Amino acid sequence: MRLIDWQLAFEQHLLSETSVANSSFAATLLGGPTLDVDTGLAIYHNAYLSRLQEVLRHDFGAIWYWLGDDEFALLTQAYIRRYPSAHYSLRWLGERFAVFILEYLVAEQSAPLAEMARLEWAFTLAFDAPQGAPLTLNDMAQLAPEDWPTLQVILAPSVQQLLCRFNTVAIWRASKDESDFPGSQALNLAQLCLVWRHENVCHYRSLEPGEAFALAGMVTAGWSFSELCAQLAVTYEEGAPLQAVTWLKQWIQDGLLERRVP
Amino acid sequence: MSSSFPSLGYGLGLRNEYYEQILAQSPAVDWFEVISENYLVPGGKALYYLDAIAERYPLVMHGVSLSIGGPHALDTEYLEQIKQLAERIQPAWISDHLCWSRGNAHQLHDLLPLPYTEESLYQVAGRVRQVQDVLQRPLVLENVSSYVRSKADDFTEWEFLNALAHLSGCQLLLDVNNVYVSSRNHGFDAWTFIRNLPPESIRQLHLAGHMDYGHYVVDTHDHPVCDPVWALYQQTLEHFGPVSTLLERDDHFPPFEELLTELSKARELGASALARRSLCA
Repeated sequence: MRLIDWQLAFEQHLLSETSVANSSFAATLLGGPTLDVDTGLAIYHNAYLSRLQEVLRHDFGAIWYWLGDDEFALLTQAYIRRYPSAHYSLRWLGERFAVFILEYLVAEQSAPLAEMARLEWAFTLAFDAPQGAPLTLNDMAQLAPEDWPTLQVILAPSVQQLLCRFNTVAIWRASKDESDFPGSQALNLAQLCLVWRHENVCHYRSLEPGEAFALAGMVTAGWSFSELCAQLAVTYEEGAPLQAVTWLKQWIQDGLLERRVP
Repeated sequence: MSSSFPSLGYGLGLRNEYYEQILAQSPAVDWFEVISENYLVPGGKALYYLDAIAERYPLVMHGVSLSIGGPHALDTEYLEQIKQLAERIQPAWISDHLCWSRGNAHQLHDLLPLPYTEESLYQVAGRVRQVQDVLQRPLVLENVSSYVRSKADDFTEWEFLNALAHLSGCQLLLDVNNVYVSSRNHGFDAWTFIRNLPPESIRQLHLAGHMDYGHYVVDTHDHPVCDPVWALYQQTLEHFGPVSTLLERDDHFPPFEELLTELSKARELGASALARRSLCA
């Protein structure tokens, strides 16, 4: 058997559902005095699946907590069979887990679980995103008064945005605290959740609609600070500049923003 | 008969579980080996600690994804990232494994054995030269543990390593534990394997633990080094002279002090083996 054919047969063995190898492939192999070929091949087969499942348990700890060992094992086994790893780094293994959940489970079950998968994946992305150059309060203190009205910002590279329709953040928190499962519930109003890394620690925060609107205006629509004040005046009237400064200060303290370069 | 390279001494595998203690305590570790893939990321905590530790200790890069024996084309993007990381931390050398870890279409994330045939030898030697051209330095390759072997083998594993080093100019990372594991699984003599390796190519040694299931042994890197592996390690140093030695732990991480104690044991056993070598010289 040529090398490439032998390797393809080995690969097929690892990816197959059973740890018992194809007999023509097994016939090309030798075991040892007390290790037979079938056991040797089963060691490789089992190690392949368990190694990948361990990565998913780490990256999707809240889903593991939610489903329990057996259901999580079944779900991740199906995922690995459907989407075998395509990247040399196991760090990317879970990239399609949320999409897979939507494809694989019935809608009532899949929607909240997929949202949790997206939240957990957001933490993975924030964890090792580029550092960027987040604005600091010190930067703002040095900003000339005439530059304030035209100030524009973008999100720092680690910031992930997630629109939560369920109490996903509460369930995630419970899993971290190892407290009782709070039960999955739809929220009355979808809520924006931010996940980001600041000073090498990952953070998350849900935003009330007003703050989410203001942040989106600045980082997505490209409002300047004076435009933000003008938009907020509709709701806050003469208190708009104070509200704008309060939020801007919070976002900068959190490490969420970079200055938009014209 | 000795290794051609100056020894870095006794090192530990750098794992995130120990970052804080390493920076706070500056432990008496001569060098650290880093898993290259853990740092092929754009930012974050891992790179922050890596840079800080690189300022204090010599580092060596150890990869798990090169798939030097794989049926696919070499991943040039991956190699470029390895090269950039090497520029960043200036490792004493760069190693990976004599294995394949990627199949035709998928990443398999395991250190899979190669048939030790002429076909494999020339294929791997050519790919090693390609890698060395990109990295502009010799590649160091580690022997892996295995649980099956090919009936088509033309060479023993140690003959294959000799021939590969000769054909490609690669250097060798001799994992003493892996030799022990494979010798138990395949029924060969571990010392015959080691004493037949080319001394001038031995760049580094690995020590690690495994799980012994009686009928076979699995390379888990999650236990302390066992007595037969310590004995083999001492024999190895008596034979090759001083070689940079690395204690590996990849799971069931003990308190850092326990690893330091195990590293001290390696130092003591290594020193007595080298003293015996001097007496016999």
